[in-house]
Amino acid sequence: MTFELFIFYVFATVTVASAVVVISSRNPVYSALALVLTFFSCSGIWMLAEAEFLAIVLVLVYVGAVMVLFLFVVMMLDINIAVLSQGFMSYLPVGVGVALAVVAEMALLVGSKYFGADIIPPPERHVAEYNNTAELGNVLYTVHMYAFEIASVILLVAIIAAIVLTLRKRPLTRYQSPEKQVAVRREDRIRVINMKAETEE
Amino acid sequence: MESVYLALVLAPLVGAIAAGLFGKLIGRTGSHWVTILGVGASFALSLVVFKHIVLDGAEVYNATVYTWMVSEGIRFEVGFLVDSLTALMICVVTFVSLMVHIYTIGYMHEDPGYQRFFSYIALFTFAMLMLVMSNNFLQLFFGWEAVGLVSYLLIGFWYERDTAIFANMKAFLVNRIGDFGFLLGIGLILANFGSLDYHEVFAQAPTMVTESIEILPGSAWSLMTVICILLFIGAMGKSAQVPLHVWLPDSMEGPTPISALIHAATMVTAGIFMVARMSPLFETSETALSVVLVIGALTSFLMGLVGIVQNDIKRVVAYSTLSQLGYMTVALGASAYAAGIFHLMTHAFFKALLFLAAGSVIIGMHHDQDIRNMGGLKKYMPITYWTSLIGTLALIGFPGFSGFFSKDAIIEATHASSIPGSSFAYVLVLAGVFVTALYSFRMFFLVFHGKERMDDHTREHLHESSGVVVWPLILLAIPSLGIGYLTIGDVLFGDYFDGVIHVAANHDVLGHLAGDWHGATAMITHGIMAPPFWLAMGGLATAAYLYLMRPELPGKIKDRLQIFVTILENKYGFDDFNQKYIAGGCRGIGNLLWKVGDEKLIDGLMVNGSARTVGWVSSIVRQVQTGMMYHYAFAMILGLLGLLTWFVIR
Amino acid sequence: MAYVFSPSDLVQVAPEIFILSMACVILIVDLFLDDRRRYVTHLLCQVTLLGAAVLTYMLGFGETTMAFSGAYIHDAFGDVLKIAMYVVTAAVFLYSRDYLKDRNLLKGEYFVLGLFGLLGMMIMVSAANLLVIYLGIELLALSLYALVAFDRDNKTAAEAAMKYFVLGAIASGMLLYGMSMIYGTTGTLSSTEIAARLVDLGSDDLVPIFGLVFIMVGIGFKLGVVPFHMWVPDIYQGAPTSVTLYIGSIPKIAGFALVMRLLVDTLPGLVVDWQAMLIILAVLSMAIGNIVAIAQTNIKRMLAYSTISHMGFLLLGVLSGTTEGYSSAMFYTLVYSMMALGSFGILLLMSRSGFDAEMLDDMKGLNRRSPWFAGMMLIMMFSMAGVPPMAGFYAKLSVLAAVVDIGLVWLAIVAVLFSVIGAFYYLRVIKLMYFDEPVDDSPLGGSADVRFVLSLNGLAVLGLGIFPAGLMGLCLQVLS
Repeated sequence: MTFELFIFYVFATVTVASAVVVISSRNPVYSALALVLTFFSCSGIWMLAEAEFLAIVLVLVYVGAVMVLFLFVVMMLDINIAVLSQGFMSYLPVGVGVALAVVAEMALLVGSKYFGADIIPPPERHVAEYNNTAELGNVLYTVHMYAFEIASVILLVAIIAAIVLTLRKRPLTRYQSPEKQVAVRREDRIRVINMKAETEE
Repeated sequence: MESVYLALVLAPLVGAIAAGLFGKLIGRTGSHWVTILGVGASFALSLVVFKHIVLDGAEVYNATVYTWMVSEGIRFEVGFLVDSLTALMICVVTFVSLMVHIYTIGYMHEDPGYQRFFSYIALFTFAMLMLVMSNNFLQLFFGWEAVGLVSYLLIGFWYERDTAIFANMKAFLVNRIGDFGFLLGIGLILANFGSLDYHEVFAQAPTMVTESIEILPGSAWSLMTVICILLFIGAMGKSAQVPLHVWLPDSMEGPTPISALIHAATMVTAGIFMVARMSPLFETSETALSVVLVIGALTSFLMGLVGIVQNDIKRVVAYSTLSQLGYMTVALGASAYAAGIFHLMTHAFFKALLFLAAGSVIIGMHHDQDIRNMGGLKKYMPITYWTSLIGTLALIGFPGFSGFFSKDAIIEATHASSIPGSSFAYVLVLAGVFVTALYSFRMFFLVFHGKERMDDHTREHLHESSGVVVWPLILLAIPSLGIGYLTIGDVLFGDYFDGVIHVAANHDVLGHLAGDWHGATAMITHGIMAPPFWLAMGGLATAAYLYLMRPELPGKIKDRLQIFVTILENKYGFDDFNQKYIAGGCRGIGNLLWKVGDEKLIDGLMVNGSARTVGWVSSIVRQVQTGMMYHYAFAMILGLLGLLTWFVIR
Repeated sequence: MAYVFSPSDLVQVAPEIFILSMACVILIVDLFLDDRRRYVTHLLCQVTLLGAAVLTYMLGFGETTMAFSGAYIHDAFGDVLKIAMYVVTAAVFLYSRDYLKDRNLLKGEYFVLGLFGLLGMMIMVSAANLLVIYLGIELLALSLYALVAFDRDNKTAAEAAMKYFVLGAIASGMLLYGMSMIYGTTGTLSSTEIAARLVDLGSDDLVPIFGLVFIMVGIGFKLGVVPFHMWVPDIYQGAPTSVTLYIGSIPKIAGFALVMRLLVDTLPGLVVDWQAMLIILAVLSMAIGNIVAIAQTNIKRMLAYSTISHMGFLLLGVLSGTTEGYSSAMFYTLVYSMMALGSFGILLLMSRSGFDAEMLDDMKGLNRRSPWFAGMMLIMMFSMAGVPPMAGFYAKLSVLAAVVDIGLVWLAIVAVLFSVIGAFYYLRVIKLMYFDEPVDDSPLGGSADVRFVLSLNGLAVLGLGIFPAGLMGLCLQVLS
């Protein structure tokens, strides 16, 4: 076993173990943190496969942005854990049974019969100067240009959808109107009144 | 020309739709204008087509307009075959239809169903045009059924009357028997020829002569004979041949204009037209021709006899129609198709004329149709009288009138024919001439001459009908008088039907007669010497003697010959037999199947049972849709698992 | 791999680019319109669709060409489907306009999201690359999620959107997983290359078959066939009727294109396998769809189950694996989208502000209130039930003929049996319309253009049944 393989197994074990924690933990904050760990170990595996760009993006985007946002949401919503896990036990046997069946069938595939080194040869090692990011960019902006453009449209739709579903004008909301504030005149704000001096009687 | 053909067919349809669906919107006047314009346009275009095809001698048009669908290589199409036969038919159909449209304005003018009526008759014109212009069996069948449907609707036009409902049901059921045969015939053609196109079928017909078919195990029948007889059964239904004639007299329950249009001039001749169109098929089977011949002869004679004892003015005309249809059928059986079509054309004019004249009388008599209550109408209704006289003379075949030429040609052709049964047929058609003259003039004298037997109220209001009624009479009287003289040379003995009607060399009776043909005038002079003329004169004289000079005699004769009269008044018992045994038997079986088979077994056990089962299953399965998202997701996973497992263990 | 960009690629995708640009323009223009002038947005959308149709027509119907290094396929099949989608979308926008206005939902975003969904479907229709197919699906799906939740204050709509979103995400994941298996065995994303390599691999390889199963889950979800159908009734019922109209009509055309592009174009080597799977899915869909529809009281839900059964029927044509079968399925799809359009269109017409026609009882006595539109609904119901001479009859007939032609007579019999069961609930609608007393007698509203197009819609269904040859011929022509 080479060192590389050893590293792979370490990352793989951590990935699977932390993924199990994600779905079995009762506390959503723990789940989210376990998911962070899963992402980290995944990015480690990608690093082994010489996909540095993806590894870094995974950490930056998912761990840095998505998961942090997710943690905020979880903490702010204050979800009632007891309600969520209701009925969990009653569904567990069926769920586990089905899951095992699917896993068993998938196990038929994973093995040397279909994915052995003779059928799918390992990718050749690149030299140290090899730049995965540049390669990725090359492909992305040429061969997959069409798909890339579509992806950008999807993001646009996501923005529109998010705004449509969340931006609302509540009639009762109090808000400042800068142009009114700027255009305000003295007379609107101050009323000078003459008062008789009050005297104590 | 294709657009002309399309417009010709569609113009009446447009009128029918406009009057039928938007009748309230466009009103009574609008309805009759739109349909008359549609049919009028059709008639004008028919004349254009006639000039194009017949006078200018243009190529026969045979093309598909629209392919409805193609299934297993069999094409279902809408197409037109326009040749001299079609040109003749569309002219007759649209002309008579136009006359009837105009006449209807007067006849129906107080009826609440005015728009409906115009819509129906325009629709009928459309269907009839589809029928005669078709170039394939499917469209033929469509037209066939469509005219039958409109006929059904029109017989029951006054649907509040029980007799009308009875009559239209009867017409529908009897026609169903004929149509069943017709459909079987088309089915056999499709099965054996693999095509529905006329020309493809006709081209193959000679090669099929030797084919045989096993209907009952162990008995071989000639395929062509079976096909032709089946097709002819269809024609028997539509053209009211014995024993499927029973519906036609009852159809007189409908308004008179449609009796003229549908049940005299056009629809009932569809069978004649169809057999003539199928001449290449019928020529391959002498047996079938013989059947046609005998059935036609029986119809012509027996139905004429019944006409003598009828007292309803329309029924007399109806029986005469039956008899004349018999003549046409005889012509077909004798392979004198051209003579059949020729008689069809002349008959269309003079029979429409007679019906419309009868209608005019009925209007005058305030819808009393019993000829025993009439008499002496001559002085009140002169135009109706004279046009009726022309129609009647044409009907009995008085030399020079159009009916003379066509009927004489048929009689001569039957005489010359060598098809088995032709001598039997000859005797019957000859005797039929006497009978025709007898019943025609019996009615004529009873209606227009003699004592005025109507009540005083009716007499006071008797007067000639309005312009829209008498003008069609006059316009129809013209061809009744002259069309035979003008066209017989070309149609019967010329080359009019060359390439359209196919006659085998050994059956070619008209070709045989053509040798003795010296022109129409010669035929008239020769006709005066011939037995049919003297028979007709005999009939006329008998009628005159019995109903003008000695009006008391018929009653005495009737008493003396009670038994024959009873037979005739019962119409040989066809109706009683049908109603008692066939209809009764069917109802018995129907009742049995209904009570036991349908209500208990099918309804109770299968339909309601399965419906209950389905409803039960439905309410159970519905529970699966819980609305819980994880249930849905779980169902998807189960589906995935199921598919995966299936592939793993397969 | 050397890559050469050719500007002609941009011409090929001109309709897509046009729709995208116009959607962006409309998005901006809409900002400057107040609610009273919102009709401008609607008008601009119709202009956009017209422009796209003109572009597609002018550029289309030529030889099949590829663009963007094989990611985009431009063929007559796609052109026909795209033009059909423009037409249906135009009708959807028109029918929805008044309904949305009555509910204060007439926002530019509805139309923009509709256009983006259309763009996603156009991408699916002419995709020749697994990645592009997936992205097209996602673009459509994202637009649909947003559309379903469009009526934000409506709790059932929000619930429906949530279900749709989560289940859709699962289905997308499955689809992507299946695609990755295919990619793993063939090493390429291009449809044509995958097709070629799978033939070389032979049939004993389990990986592509498993990939196919996962892809089938995705397809099944998008089409809404049993057992991946559970979202359909909830979403049809929960979404605003105008959105149901959108979901129920146009994506069916795209779904058919998806099946054709993924199964027929990409995986012809596995035809035996997907044929077997489709038989299972088709029978289950026809059974569940037709049977459960009977128990519904909500007409939107009933039509949802009817959709499920129709999608099962549609699969019959595809699974026959013959050109005739494909063209009959295509005919079926186009006819179905028109029928769905018409029937939901009438529901929209019957709705007023403050009242949604969505219960079966709301159909009562429609004939008294508007004989003409009761007649239109009659045409739709008869057509869905497959009664001649409506277009639905011919569609069913041709699909059945395709199944019988490959010897699966039993399947045809099963299909007919379930159609008979299905006829019950269609006829029930007709019975309610014609033989029951109306609950309220108010005449039907609707502006003149909506009524006109809706009538045209109904007459087209009738007309296509009487004269099916033209469209059928077109379908055959573009598929052979």
